[in-house]
Amino acid sequence: MDREKVRVCFYPENRCIEVDKGENLLRAAMKADVHINASCGGEGYCGKCRVIIEKGEVKQRLQVKLSQEEIKQGYTLACCSTVESDVDVRIPIESQIGDKGVLLRRPPIPLKGYTLSAKDWAERLPQWELNPPTAKFHLILDKPSLEDNISDAERIKRGLAKLADLKDVVIDYPMLSALPSMVRAASFDVTVTVLDRGMEQRAVRLEKGDTTPRQAAIAIDLGTTTVSAQLIDLQTGRVIAEASDYNGQISYGEDVITRIIYSTRSTGLAKLQSAAVNTIWNLIQQMVEKTGIEFCSITHLCISGNTTMIHLLLGLDPRYIRVDPYIPAATHFPWIKASNIGIRIASGVYLRCTPCVASYVGGDIVAGVLASGMFNSEKLTLYIDIGTNGEMVLGNKEWMLSCSCSAGPAFEGAGVKHGMRATRGAIEQVRINEVTKEPMIITIGNRRPIGICGSGLIDLLAELFLTGVIDERGKIDVDLDTPRTRVGESGSEYVLVWADESGTNRDIVITEADIDNLMRAKAAVYAGIQILLQEVGMKIEDVEEILIAGAFGRYLEIDKAIIIGLLPDVDTEKIKFVGNGSLLGSYLMALSKNLIKEADRIANMMTYLELSVNPRFMEQYVSALFLPHTHKEMFPTVLQRLEEARAAAGLGPLERGSELS
Amino acid sequence: MAFESVKETTESRIREVALGTGELKVGGENVLAFHLFEGEMPNRPLIAVEVYDYYPEEWSDAVKEPLADVLSDPVAWAKKAQDEWGADLIALRLKSTDPKGMDRSLEEAVETVKAVVDAVNIPVMIYGSEDVEKDGEVMKAVAAACEGKNVIIGPALEDNYKTIGAAAIGYNHTVAAKTPIDVNLAKQLNILLSNLGVDTEKILIDPTTGALGYGLEYTYSVMERLKIAALRQDDSMTQMPLIADVGTEVWKAKEAKTPASEEPLWGDEKKRGVIWEIVTATALLMAGADIVIMRHPDAIKAVRKVIDNMLS
Repeated sequence: MDREKVRVCFYPENRCIEVDKGENLLRAAMKADVHINASCGGEGYCGKCRVIIEKGEVKQRLQVKLSQEEIKQGYTLACCSTVESDVDVRIPIESQIGDKGVLLRRPPIPLKGYTLSAKDWAERLPQWELNPPTAKFHLILDKPSLEDNISDAERIKRGLAKLADLKDVVIDYPMLSALPSMVRAASFDVTVTVLDRGMEQRAVRLEKGDTTPRQAAIAIDLGTTTVSAQLIDLQTGRVIAEASDYNGQISYGEDVITRIIYSTRSTGLAKLQSAAVNTIWNLIQQMVEKTGIEFCSITHLCISGNTTMIHLLLGLDPRYIRVDPYIPAATHFPWIKASNIGIRIASGVYLRCTPCVASYVGGDIVAGVLASGMFNSEKLTLYIDIGTNGEMVLGNKEWMLSCSCSAGPAFEGAGVKHGMRATRGAIEQVRINEVTKEPMIITIGNRRPIGICGSGLIDLLAELFLTGVIDERGKIDVDLDTPRTRVGESGSEYVLVWADESGTNRDIVITEADIDNLMRAKAAVYAGIQILLQEVGMKIEDVEEILIAGAFGRYLEIDKAIIIGLLPDVDTEKIKFVGNGSLLGSYLMALSKNLIKEADRIANMMTYLELSVNPRFMEQYVSALFLPHTHKEMFPTVLQRLEEARAAAGLGPLERGSELS
Repeated sequence: MAFESVKETTESRIREVALGTGELKVGGENVLAFHLFEGEMPNRPLIAVEVYDYYPEEWSDAVKEPLADVLSDPVAWAKKAQDEWGADLIALRLKSTDPKGMDRSLEEAVETVKAVVDAVNIPVMIYGSEDVEKDGEVMKAVAAACEGKNVIIGPALEDNYKTIGAAAIGYNHTVAAKTPIDVNLAKQLNILLSNLGVDTEKILIDPTTGALGYGLEYTYSVMERLKIAALRQDDSMTQMPLIADVGTEVWKAKEAKTPASEEPLWGDEKKRGVIWEIVTATALLMAGADIVIMRHPDAIKAVRKVIDNMLS
């Protein structure tokens, strides 16, 4: 369903863009790359983003920062206005950049990126069909008699064979024990749930009457930091509720290594297992309450997570994952009863964890590769999941090579002084003026800023670099003529938000140490990409499609990720977003047993490359610890933008700037 | 059919860097070291002779003895290097400015530099004490005092390249950029310097030297890889001539400086250090060094002969 489009023109820049009707005016300006001073994230608090509506209609929230006189003259705060028709907007000089003239900036490129969605599956996932691993069968059984005196269990089997041509169904023991009284209480009118385990059909639950219309499943992405879940109606295949929360294991350690260490303590493993189970249980409860379905309509769960997370959930000892030669207990996991690990939804609910490839490439990646359709593609594809570990997979339908590099949690907002998750109040977009070095920010939910999330950090790093606030090594130039750069208590820093405009009453800054962490994270990811390519003797130009998964927040801008050298400088058309690949893959598997089989095949065909023993990794890493990269010739569009930014700032061209100022 | 050797030729060249104000140039080759059958080395590799700005009491007797008459006088030392040992350039080290050591003032440093530069007619390179802060100040003063002489100043490090680079730009000198044995870091510093505005034809790479037994193989492979990147991959930011800092590193090695009285089995102490210096310098010339900084007169003479033979 496409929303109505309207046209917004900004003057004096004379730049027009098309946006959805109802778009926030400050966001529209950001999209058009028109600079409006804005410091409070869009809450209407700082009153800096005053603009004049010359033509057209905007809807305004309360505008306490404007006088009656100003409102009469057509003034409005951009952050508090939504565009309701085609509008002409004039940016008064005080909201621009002071007295230094109009900023010239390249017209924006539509770089929000293409996100894969349901309409791509027909092409990308021909194996996809609505055929879940559990099915319900409504049986009206013949009542036993002296002539027809087979056992209750055989009667069920016969019913299943007649109705659905199911042969040799195994009846689960708990169902067997309830069988005689239940079938009679139901007058032999029952519904049987059958789980297709691949090698065997198993009847797992018996219900009175016809319950076939009520069938639901749960898909879960069990992340190290965040757990996300979906409740799916198996009749329609639609997601009827979603929920997510921090992984309750966080209090026992932020990364997989510290959790593995914790699990080796006396009752550590049990504690971690129950923390994960509790987190999952709470999410299930939330979703069930939200939708009002019955717990007993849930018939199965599909869970994807990294190898360590799955070990901890299943209570498998993960200690050997950590030490050379990095061996997990298992990579393929059977269907098990959810109640075996303490998830007590209803009787006969089974769960399945997506198979893993190796200790550091888990089921979350397999699920992502599945969901992206990469395993069906003729095209040489690079799949990148950027999280605490950066995992990447190179290949196509014929072969796949994967590796994992420790990027650190910087892009998730951890390890950064004012970093945060992509939630309300997080700065998610940043522009910096070349001349004044003043920022323009937008926060999630248009709230006063309280921190910076992953996409904001990538934006910020790119903008700091383009505007010369930091050099190629990420060192902040504190000699600049702006109060925004300074030497703070933890070294050099750039002040993104002053205390009186922040939601925390403290300056929101990015420090040189933060920048170092971000540089290390981006260098690890880029080095991993290079090693994968080198290993198969290919170049980045050979890659036909790049698929990005990960939780940056909503607005990862591809060009910014390229400017900082996180992603290679390729035609941006090649880059597509998968979103949360792990959750999407779990969802698809919950609905389609074909895809469960495919996931097994993917996990088996993927070759794993251990980077910790690869001598070339360090070399690639050091060359990527530079903006955009030591081999800057690999980033031609970035060099061009740098030249433009320098020209806009009135600086000389790069290399051989003639004069010493 | 006669054997014909495979030739690898390239369009790329190492930049030719003019030293001092005369005719002397370094670099310009389009081949790996001495591969004269594939291309040319228009300028021969140069030997820079070390001169210290104070009496180096701590040196081994084996190297102090032949220099005894000049050790306390940098000017006489430099002249002797030029006149008697055939130095191509003088490498003056302002070790005495080290704040952790003698901490001599900028004025004293400038005085020494001026005296040496004026006394010789070959180009001079001036290295500070490698104290990040002090070197910045010293090189600013030295650059100003030597305006018009096109000296080499350095080493510019990651943490002071801005000051030293600016001094070189301001007074039109050449910069030696030093990084810790890593191809990428060497290239990064060149990018930073050129973005600062230093002419890429006024930059030399000092990739850090390890003497024989002390990392020579690392330096060898880093130098070789820089040359390969420059020539085979046409990587503009590695096409700068290379400096090998041999003398200082070699004479730190215990094999070079330990007296025979302590280690009788190691052989003649007068020859041992010299051989150590010859081997290190020769190896690094093969790796692609365009300038070798050396200390002992006998080693200098021997290495000059090596260069002559390789080029003939």
